Amino acid sequence: MATTDNRTTDNLVDEEVVSQMADYSTRGSRLPIDVLYTSEPPIVDPLVTTTSKAQDQTIDQCLPLLRAADSNLEYNANGVPRLHRERHIKYLETTLGNLPAAFVGADASRPWCMYWALNALSLLGADVSKFRENLIATAAHMQNKTGGFGGGFGQTSHLATTYATVLSLVIVGGESAYEVIDRRAMWKWLSSLKQPNGGFQMSLGGEVDVRGAYCAAVIISLLNIPLSLSSDSPASAAGLDDLYTGLASYVQRCQTFEGGISAKPDAEAHGAYAFCALGCLSILDAPHRIIPRTLNVPRLISWLSSRQYAPEGGFSGRTNKLVDGCYSHWVGACWPLIQASLGTPSKPAQNSGPQSESTPEFVSFYDREGLIRYIMTCGQDHSSKGGMRDKPSHRSDAYHTCYVLSGLTSAQHVVSAVLAEDEYVANTTWKVSPYSDPQLFDEQDRLNPTDPVYAIPQKKREEVMTYFLSKPGF
Amino acid sequence: MPPKNNKGGVNAKGSSAKQEDLTKTQTVYERAQAVYDLTRPPYDKEREELGGLHNLSTVEKTAYANWFCTAPEEYSYLPKKAQKELWKQVNESNRPLRRGQIDKPRPDQWGRDKNGRNIGDYTVQQYEQRIETQAQLTCVKALGRSFASKRLFASKGLVDSSTGEKYTLTEEDIKAEKERRKEMAALTRALYGVKMGPYSSDPEWDDVVPIPQMEPEGALAAIAYPEDYDEAMSYLRAVMAAKEYSPRCLKLTEHVISMNPAHYTVWLYRFANIQHLDMPLLDELEWLNEVALDYLKNYQIWHHRQLLLDHYYPTIADTPDEVKRFARSERAFVMQMFAEDAKNYHVWSYRQYLTRKLGMWENEAHGELDSLEGMIDDDVRNNSAWSHRFFLVFSNPRYATPDSHATEPDPQVPADIIDREVAYAQAKIALAPQNQSPWNYLRGVLVKGGRKLGSVQVFVEQYVDNLGDAEKEQVRSSHALEHLADIYEEAGDKEKADLCWKRLGEKWDRIRLGYWEWKRRSMKAASS
Repeated sequence: MATTDNRTTDNLVDEEVVSQMADYSTRGSRLPIDVLYTSEPPIVDPLVTTTSKAQDQTIDQCLPLLRAADSNLEYNANGVPRLHRERHIKYLETTLGNLPAAFVGADASRPWCMYWALNALSLLGADVSKFRENLIATAAHMQNKTGGFGGGFGQTSHLATTYATVLSLVIVGGESAYEVIDRRAMWKWLSSLKQPNGGFQMSLGGEVDVRGAYCAAVIISLLNIPLSLSSDSPASAAGLDDLYTGLASYVQRCQTFEGGISAKPDAEAHGAYAFCALGCLSILDAPHRIIPRTLNVPRLISWLSSRQYAPEGGFSGRTNKLVDGCYSHWVGACWPLIQASLGTPSKPAQNSGPQSESTPEFVSFYDREGLIRYIMTCGQDHSSKGGMRDKPSHRSDAYHTCYVLSGLTSAQHVVSAVLAEDEYVANTTWKVSPYSDPQLFDEQDRLNPTDPVYAIPQKKREEVMTYFLSKPGF
Repeated sequence: MPPKNNKGGVNAKGSSAKQEDLTKTQTVYERAQAVYDLTRPPYDKEREELGGLHNLSTVEKTAYANWFCTAPEEYSYLPKKAQKELWKQVNESNRPLRRGQIDKPRPDQWGRDKNGRNIGDYTVQQYEQRIETQAQLTCVKALGRSFASKRLFASKGLVDSSTGEKYTLTEEDIKAEKERRKEMAALTRALYGVKMGPYSSDPEWDDVVPIPQMEPEGALAAIAYPEDYDEAMSYLRAVMAAKEYSPRCLKLTEHVISMNPAHYTVWLYRFANIQHLDMPLLDELEWLNEVALDYLKNYQIWHHRQLLLDHYYPTIADTPDEVKRFARSERAFVMQMFAEDAKNYHVWSYRQYLTRKLGMWENEAHGELDSLEGMIDDDVRNNSAWSHRFFLVFSNPRYATPDSHATEPDPQVPADIIDREVAYAQAKIALAPQNQSPWNYLRGVLVKGGRKLGSVQVFVEQYVDNLGDAEKEQVRSSHALEHLADIYEEAGDKEKADLCWKRLGEKWDRIRLGYWEWKRRSMKAASS
């Protein structure tokens, strides 16, 4: 295997090269950190605009942390601080407890709060089973008789809140959690959201976008919802065959001239929608078949790769926008699906030639070191509050804690897809294992792995699918 | 041991001292206790304090026992002589002979007030005030009940037998009742701390039975709702369940949105009300503008605006001047939003919707392209503006192939438009060559026009000098270098393409090394 990721290897192995590259003499840090992460990029235009000012400010707030120059923090020999695991767990458990009146703006997104906290707790290895009984009661209260879950009691069912509730129930797991869900009502409701253009409305009378496509595909596949449309659904009247009809071509219409994916046709390419698009397609069929068939993959890869900035190391969501920790997941989680899309059933879905089982490492499309540095230094709230954040000038919140940690686990683990040769088998088996070469971070800071498509623990995803596979009807 | 002061020391003075205690009494409990003490048998208090009758002196015991005998039912059984002796002893003891039918007061028997304070600890004056307030509330409630009966009678067309006239509910009555409700709310709150919100205290909402949240115990991420929000939501659930669409519901949604604009359910319900009531569009838009400017990040607002337009467009569709005027005013508002955040994703999505809905394609008629150029002049790195320009130019139904994909050539787009867009992108690249937006745009334009990337080779090459020459290499744009690589690859010049990617990974865009290396490997793999 030709290792081409010289920088990473050098940094970890070759002290001499590292000391040549590091600019600690001018930066006051004695740690071997590559200049890539500690100084301005090689080309900067002199023209000042609103965008460049914001970018400069972002670099200014990140650099002291990236250079290991923050005297309040303890850095390891690679210039990376520890993961404040206990503090993050404590913070997440707080967000599941009673929230003060100031949280009234989150009244329509409580299922999200539940998913973010439970998923992040799982990644951190905390016990989530203690929330099972209360989650079941809370979720049951938010379910509507007409199918789906609202943001709270008496609220209209919404695909996003239903997605978040279903995933939360799957994360705590167990029959009593699964059986909260009224699958027949869910099927009818999903049928009523299906649009003649192949997409899904987020709620009755709501918007149609790629989020809807992903959320619907996740719910349908996890719960083994029958694909046939209920006879009173408007999509059925428009001549569509089933819940998946035209979904891939809806996703296709969302790819933009930049190569990325927008929320809906005509809009701007955006990282969060890229993940929704790839996730949705990877549920519909094996990635190596459906992704190249549906999207212009080279343009998508080029755009995705442009999302990573130096010196920050984190991802941005759009061209000329700022890095934000949450894209560690939205953009970071696209890469395993992209890798899989390039594979063939006869060869492992990896981009650097045939691999043997014993050496699963391969060169990453993106700079894992940069992302890990950004997350550990800039993405963590280093105060006693805990939690993860957008960037150093922002406060931590449950949303960022979930997605920054999801990004961290995807940077810590190698994913390979065992691609189905059979055209009629859509399910892909994903193998997720830790990168075993020396890492920047301390081994105890490795998170639990996550499912590359569903963004929940893989075992939990398998358990729920097995459970509902035994229930072809209702 | 019996206390010394009890030995004959009790006289008329003691009695007057007790009277004084009563007037000086501070709290309700103390007053009750004092009254109770005054009506007890003589030495009963001492008996209690000392732990039993056996601890009293003989005189005290006698006085105590005699008190019971003076009760009429007991006294009548005594022989005359004994009666006489009894009265003699009573007089000698010099203790007042009071008798009351009151139980020993408990300190907590008055309950607690709204603040958890024991009412027994109130001063007498405070307590009297409270009683007065309670009486006031009772009166107001009684008047309210009479209003409710009058309303009921009026609705049934009944006749008032005392006047012979039909019951009617006047504006004055309603006004008076509203005032009474306010008073009632204030009194209830003052007395019991129970807040009567604006809905439960508004007679207009009397017919609605609110549906409270009823959160299960231990619910996750439960919010301690502010009282106003909690009440408004309870009424909202009730009217939604009843599928009521009315002006009062519209007002209710406005109230909830002012407290929580991210509440999608309320927005959807608001639109349903507007549909049913056929509300004037401009009123709603005016209100919506304010909300949008108050909550810049909110996105429900933009979907709502889109629904409004879908609903009203048919009424103006046949009047081109009207459409034009409307397009102008909508853009003016959108621009106001961009002054706050020029990259607001939802506002841009709305602008794309607006362009299609109102057909704002032609610059002569709508000035959309001019407006965009102004934004790009303000910030040439505003990728949202570039993205909108691509949509505006390449989705124009006058020439573009319907449903032509953004990453595919469209032979229907006229060559002069491709030329114009190439020139525009190049002019903007010249301002700041390391700005990726116009580079992405340029590539998109060339693809649409079915032109080779190499058609701009000369332009691109001016940003890259002496590539591969360690001494003299100059790159003024990593994006130029990326383009150059693709131009060379397109022309089959693999060595040069490979060099570009190699230098990108080594120096000019190192963070994307993994990608550049993949490009190099892919090209090699394709040629082997």
